[in-house]
Amino acid sequence: METRMTMWDSFSKRGLSRRTFLKTCTALTAMMGLPLTDRKKVVEAATKQPLPVVVWLHGHECTGCDEAFIRSQSPLASDLVLNMISLEYSDTLAAAAGEPFEKHLETVIKKYDGKFILAVEGGVPLADQGISCMVGGKPFVDVLKEVAKHAAAIIEYGSCAAWGGVQAAKPNPTGSVSVSKVISGKPIIKVPGCPPIPEVMTGVVMHLALFGQIPPLDAQGRPKQFYGNRIHDTCYRRSFFDAGMFAERFDDAGSKAGWCLYKLGCRGPEAYNACGNLRWWNGLSYPIQSGSPCFACGSDGFWDNGPFHERLPNVVLPNTLTNADKIGAGLTVAAMAGVTVHAVISSVQKARHAKNESEHDEE
Amino acid sequence: MKRVVVDPVTRIEGHLRVEVTVDEATGKVQDALSSGTAWRGIEIILKDRDPRDAWAFTQRFCGVCTTTHALASVRTVEDALGIEIPKNANYIRNQMASSLAVQDHLIHFYHLHALDWVSPVEALKADPGATASLQNAILAKYDLGLSGPFDFNTDAYPKEFPRATPAYFKAIQAKVKALVESGQLGIFAAHWWDHPDYSLLPPEVHLMAVTHYLTMLDRQRELVTGHVVYGGKNPHPQYIVGGMPCAISMNDMNAPINTARLGVVDVAVNLGISAVNYFYLPDLLAIGDIYVTKHKMVDGGGLAGKCVLGYGDYPEDSYTGIANGDFHKRLLLRCQGVVENFAAGVMAAKFTNLEGKDYVDPEIITENIEHSWYSYPQAGKALHPLAGVTAPNYTGPKEGTKTNWKYLDEKGKYSWIKTPMWRGKMAEVGPLARYIVTYVKVKQGLMQPTWAEKMIVDQIDGVSKVLGAPAHVWMCSTVGRTACRGLEAQVMAYINKYFFDKMIKNIRNGDTATANMSKFEPASWPKEAKGVGLHEAPRGALGHWIQIKNGLTANYQAVVPSTWNACPRDSKAGSGAYESSMIETKIKVADKPLEVLRVIHSFDPCIACATHLYDTEGNKKAVINSDPYINACGGCGS
Repeated sequence: METRMTMWDSFSKRGLSRRTFLKTCTALTAMMGLPLTDRKKVVEAATKQPLPVVVWLHGHECTGCDEAFIRSQSPLASDLVLNMISLEYSDTLAAAAGEPFEKHLETVIKKYDGKFILAVEGGVPLADQGISCMVGGKPFVDVLKEVAKHAAAIIEYGSCAAWGGVQAAKPNPTGSVSVSKVISGKPIIKVPGCPPIPEVMTGVVMHLALFGQIPPLDAQGRPKQFYGNRIHDTCYRRSFFDAGMFAERFDDAGSKAGWCLYKLGCRGPEAYNACGNLRWWNGLSYPIQSGSPCFACGSDGFWDNGPFHERLPNVVLPNTLTNADKIGAGLTVAAMAGVTVHAVISSVQKARHAKNESEHDEE
Repeated sequence: MKRVVVDPVTRIEGHLRVEVTVDEATGKVQDALSSGTAWRGIEIILKDRDPRDAWAFTQRFCGVCTTTHALASVRTVEDALGIEIPKNANYIRNQMASSLAVQDHLIHFYHLHALDWVSPVEALKADPGATASLQNAILAKYDLGLSGPFDFNTDAYPKEFPRATPAYFKAIQAKVKALVESGQLGIFAAHWWDHPDYSLLPPEVHLMAVTHYLTMLDRQRELVTGHVVYGGKNPHPQYIVGGMPCAISMNDMNAPINTARLGVVDVAVNLGISAVNYFYLPDLLAIGDIYVTKHKMVDGGGLAGKCVLGYGDYPEDSYTGIANGDFHKRLLLRCQGVVENFAAGVMAAKFTNLEGKDYVDPEIITENIEHSWYSYPQAGKALHPLAGVTAPNYTGPKEGTKTNWKYLDEKGKYSWIKTPMWRGKMAEVGPLARYIVTYVKVKQGLMQPTWAEKMIVDQIDGVSKVLGAPAHVWMCSTVGRTACRGLEAQVMAYINKYFFDKMIKNIRNGDTATANMSKFEPASWPKEAKGVGLHEAPRGALGHWIQIKNGLTANYQAVVPSTWNACPRDSKAGSGAYESSMIETKIKVADKPLEVLRVIHSFDPCIACATHLYDTEGNKKAVINSDPYINACGGCGS
């Protein structure tokens, strides 16, 4: 471990100036949503903390999370993979394959015993001893358990690792579950989304790399920096919801004008995610901005909450305080009901938020 | 004789294992098996859900060729319900599909495939000055001088262009050196870097390619910016049955699509053209030229010279259906059909058409499970996807235990992938297949080429000239498969531009419709309906089939490209594309089978799902069945 380069070492080796290094730290501070007064902490962390070793395993997944990860613009994928972390095992990007690759995994988990970060993408199938996902001739669940034993912390990348994902939707033919259903006794960070926003994925790793500790989490284990608000709270179409101006049908006048998509099934009011503030491609868009209702793809069990284009009253609503029928009825009766419902949801959310805070403060 | 296992095969989408039996003295592969080692059962999950949501589930077959299954799925449901989508929706979908193809092909070449040809260790031996000269030389030598049509030429100069300065290459080399010397190789760790094939290319080619690996790792995201504008995100952008959710309006500043948003797409369209013309194609042709002309390496052809298959894609305008034949009348890329015996030359090859009702004919496209971990009610009888049955029947390995394999059983069942067949024959699909079918149809005078088809023929003739070999010789090989993917990226970059321009002209004419909602409500649907959805995904011909009953999905099937290519053998039809290509590849060092990785990667594996829930009468089977998911991707175009 002591031979590993810090971020500052890697900058100096590349002949980059201290000034460039400090500028990068400033950018990172902003990117991580921290006040600029925290820059000093970031600089200190980047100077002293060694680059973390990351091992990335794949279970029942679609590789969409790897693809999201390399779409990151800040930091750029190359900077992250080559200079900010040491990605020692990733079957999507690694040059090696087969036996030498598997041996390398064994070596790495022993060499960095208790010190590496395990990133897992994909659900864990348990039916029939896990034979529906075999890696290197062994069930993925066995590989996961072995590697997790040696890890310092685990990141559940994407809704599959965090909740079981699409394959765990009813009737879940392969008995697929989240990583945390199989692994215990290790710090686990949930980074749900199908896939998560690229900068959320890299932001979590950056936090670990720079501060050497797990970012503050909410009660479900998600980083508060990225999952602390509902999409509804920061949605750019929010004012139309409050004013009761809704698209009634795709491609109608309301759709063209960019009004609220609630009646087309938008799950924004129940979706805790960063789409409303970070958006995709560093602020370019997110599904709602492109005219498509949010599916709440970062929420537990969202796949079983269809049909996606029917509005909330007809679906099971986890995480909400009030009954969905009341929301719908209220809205159809009067536009102002939207404001009221929203106020109720917000106040409950506020209460929950406060509760989370206190829970974590105790830790 | 030595049996070598490669598991996991990395730099692919999904979980794939291969086993090859090699004669160590001659390097000849006696037998090879390809096994998909995972399945997820998504088609089972689709049952009894709203068919309008199916695209979101099937899109999650694969996040690499993200969008391809969503597209095939909405097409399937629209075919079943008789929904004709507006022109703009067709143009937008075509832009999303073609821009995905550019990005997916490019990422495959640089980040999944390049390390089979190129080594960072070799790059250390390069002279940065000579690398800069090489860069200049290849930009001149490998410019095929081809272009697609432009209605609105908005690109003043190439925004991304390779730097050919010694200092730049020196800086990159220093970074690679620092990485190698640190002993922490990260993604470059534990590979067979001492394999003799890494010395086939001069060190300067290695340094140039490694440099572009890094450049393109950071630029690839911008190639699919259109997905984020039209679909709100990438991977996994949003669709709707009946069109696209991104409404267009020039009267509303909050509109999903207006001029400012189109400006963002325009920049990405132009970047795709630059990235392919100045990076991808010259790099690819420089490497391919050395392998073919200097080292005469044209092995790994496998099924390509025997039987290839395509479905055709990119409707010029709206169409009324697929199974009714209208789709195939309106295509820009008419690579639908089968070509047999291309190895004998373009004029000797045999073409058979594949259109409209052929896709619902129970005899034409079928799947078998002789060597797959499933059982059928009538042994040996292959079934059409819509009539298929999938009862899992996991039999374990030949040697080892159920949960700890040593060797799989090539004489018995050994894969979660089924074996799809065309009229009882194995076929290869993918960019190479599309190129062979198009080339044969045009050269044999079976069709008058569209601009895109003419560009394909010109590219093939251009490369044949550069390599000094006839098309059927260089194309039917590992290099040819990889080369056709790069050539196709160029055509796709211009198809993206073409449909962007068509959309602009259409909006200019006053048409801003993006969705046909007349049959969106289940109350307007017939009690029962069946449909097929086709798409030429990055990895080849993709088909989805649906049965709708009482407003819900009664059965859903996907036969994906990697199922065609990665399938296990069949006692009558022989070996599939992966297996026969491995058998035709010579291995230099038995326990370091780099050539196997290279030939498998030339297909860009992405293994997919095909689930079969019902028997032929539509009765639910008592057994849970599933699909071969090979990892994630289904098909991804898989």
